[in-house]
Amino acid sequence: MSETLFPLAFASDEFRLLTGIVLGFLFGFTLERAGFGNARKLAGQFYLEDMTVFKVMFTAILVAMVGVYGLAAVGLVDISMLWINPTFTPAQVVGGFLLGVGFVMSGLCPGTSVVSLASGRIDGWVAFAAIFVGIALFTFTVDWVPGLNTLYQMGSGEVSVLHEVFGIPAIVLALIFVVGAVAAFVGAEKVEAIFQEKRQPVELTPPSRPRFKFAVGGGLAVAVLLALALSAPRPQARPVQMASLAPLSLAQAIIERDPSIMILDLRTDPASERGIPGAIPASDEEEAIAALSAAPPNTTVVVYDASGFFTVAPPSWPRTVDYRALAGGLEGWVTQVLTPLEANGTSLEERNQVLRQNQISAFFSGAAVQATSVAAPPPAMQAGGAPKKKKSGGC
Amino acid sequence: MKAKDYWNPYLAGVVLGLVLLAAFLVAGNGLGATALPKRALAVVGNGIAPEWTASNAVLSNYVADGANPLRNWLVVEVIGVLLGGFLGALSAGRLAKKVEKGPNISVRGRLLYAAGGGVIMGFAAALARGCTSGQALSGGAVLSTGSWIFMLMVFAGGYAVAHLVRRQWV
Repeated sequence: MSETLFPLAFASDEFRLLTGIVLGFLFGFTLERAGFGNARKLAGQFYLEDMTVFKVMFTAILVAMVGVYGLAAVGLVDISMLWINPTFTPAQVVGGFLLGVGFVMSGLCPGTSVVSLASGRIDGWVAFAAIFVGIALFTFTVDWVPGLNTLYQMGSGEVSVLHEVFGIPAIVLALIFVVGAVAAFVGAEKVEAIFQEKRQPVELTPPSRPRFKFAVGGGLAVAVLLALALSAPRPQARPVQMASLAPLSLAQAIIERDPSIMILDLRTDPASERGIPGAIPASDEEEAIAALSAAPPNTTVVVYDASGFFTVAPPSWPRTVDYRALAGGLEGWVTQVLTPLEANGTSLEERNQVLRQNQISAFFSGAAVQATSVAAPPPAMQAGGAPKKKKSGGC
Repeated sequence: MKAKDYWNPYLAGVVLGLVLLAAFLVAGNGLGATALPKRALAVVGNGIAPEWTASNAVLSNYVADGANPLRNWLVVEVIGVLLGGFLGALSAGRLAKKVEKGPNISVRGRLLYAAGGGVIMGFAAALARGCTSGQALSGGAVLSTGSWIFMLMVFAGGYAVAHLVRRQWV
């Protein structure tokens, strides 16, 4: 279950199908009112005397684009749940070209042929029936005409989106398209005017309110900026590999009562063995996140499990603190900190090292009894507002 | 009775865009047109030759899960287009049994063009896995790279042969 609102999850298939009828109805009605039930008007696009196809289609694409990616930017739409046409470049190049050829011949495309036949146009009926034949023709020939299936299947077949190809956010690309489209609409109207003088086109769309396109373009641009302003800086939804921390360094930090350190005990059975003094038990995800959200920014959070397998911070953990994994987990702590060393070093330096380590060891072994009073509450809690405020919710 | 004016194209575009947006928000996919004929063909194929249908490169996609291929959002959506187109034409005073053509071509000639173009379009839409609605409009809105390639090629194909078939329009 995703946290986003859209696309909607339906309790029943029937209700979902009902929305198909309703939206299809609005689709067909709008196409009719745009003049797309008329093959002559549609064909005008290819003779540059009636650019309605271009204007309607691109306005619609941009409205939906800004809507989908704008709502995604503010967290209302889960793009990964949407059907995005996969890319099969060769089939789309050849199929697109052929469809354009068929479009100008019939004056209709598959969708508009439905509107045309619904308006009673005989050419619409013929075109729709022929589309059926064409689909059947491809279906029957794809498996045995040499190369046809290869052409059909060639290419990645993966979902590729332009904003990732260009490496910019979708909503920014949408804004670029909006600006480009308004300029193209102005150009299209100039071209139309030139070609309309030469020919007498059919049933022109009344040239009312030419400023409407600027209003639409401006509205879309505002929507993009609004989405950008409202888009929350998303936490990096990626697990992070934690640097490891030697048990002795942790021991040192505890002895020095370093206020910027917080220790998290991630063992699932914390009762099995005494943990590190001052550690906050967090045997499940919920406890861990609760503890982590209480930590002041820039705290160094040292986590440990039984034997040091936990080295990757999950995506759900806040990114306002630094993470370190205790090398070897509790096992490493026991062997390196709690177990006194044999003083078999030869040099003075080595002997001092052993001595210091054994002091630490004695500190914790002795302190173990009164650990709760000595080292707890965890040092990080005393830090309060001490760490410098670096990051507050950016824009 | 004089027919109502067509809508301002930008207004029609905004309304169409909102319908398309609603389709994505509600159903999780865009709008289409060729799903109906393709899936109807799958039903016919399944009735006559189920094994062939199940192994066919196009139809196998629609019968794989064993469900009725016509019980599909895009299929009922096309039925909605039919109803919407009909009521749109009726309420605008444009419902009429006639052939749209230029003055310099016979009805028969125009219908031959419509048939020829239709067959090519059906073949192309099956090959490209979608048509102007399912690929260019819907895929274009969600920035699918392949859909934008398709869309540019539709215009390229249309302009490439427009001069050759101008007889039926001008």
